[in-house]
Amino acid sequence: MDQLTDVLTAISHPTRRAILGQLARGPARFLDVAKPYDTALNAVTKHLKMLERAGLIERQKQGREVLISFRGEPLRQVAGWVHEYERFWTERLDQFEQHFKDKKTKEKKA
Amino acid sequence: MTNAKKTIEVKVERTIPAAPAEVFDGWLDPKIPGNPWNMAEKLLLNPEVDGFFYWLVRGNSHYGRFTEMERPSRMQHTWVSPNTLGEESTVTVTFEKQGEDTRMTLVHSGLPDTDGGRGHEKGWNYFLNIFPEQFINVSRGSQEGR
Repeated sequence: MDQLTDVLTAISHPTRRAILGQLARGPARFLDVAKPYDTALNAVTKHLKMLERAGLIERQKQGREVLISFRGEPLRQVAGWVHEYERFWTERLDQFEQHFKDKKTKEKKA
Repeated sequence: MTNAKKTIEVKVERTIPAAPAEVFDGWLDPKIPGNPWNMAEKLLLNPEVDGFFYWLVRGNSHYGRFTEMERPSRMQHTWVSPNTLGEESTVTVTFEKQGEDTRMTLVHSGLPDTDGGRGHEKGWNYFLNIFPEQFINVSRGSQEGR
């Protein structure tokens, strides 16, 4: 697989996106990364391997500990891949959906 | 010599809390925020099969012709803009009843796969919005000099 595919696959799972969000706030140890998730450590390990293969995280040894940190650079590829019309329609449909949500909320209040 | 143009397709889906007929009509009503016609600086819109639209936004002219109009489930029209390099692309919108809601699917196909059509700076900014604020700051730093 090419790197773009690896990156898209890596960010396609909500848990992996959550892990990236957590690591974007700063490097963490494996157990700290795994703590918020109600899932087996083995599953977290698999998620981390996919993120590592996509180049979105890296492991660094600091003394006796291994710290996992976030790397944003591969996301640049994804950003270049996003088509202008994907952004355009996403924004339009977000507003359109919000209009109907607001309307429904007003109707419930009335 | 063949000159096959590479095209791509964009697909966006949403669940709208209203019945398909209301959503279908809303998508064609320029007064409703979110549909493309709402943000027009100038708009000529004739939403019936073989009806045309002219849509001016941010100084860019867009043209199209409605090719399918099956209220309340489906509409399709062509779409020609500076970003399609003058070529006809196709926008198909389907509205599927999902309980009390409507599953709306928009497919924009036949888009030229060129650098001009790709997001680049805009796409980057769009994508950054998905990620945490701290990441945005880090990435903006590395984005300088693009």
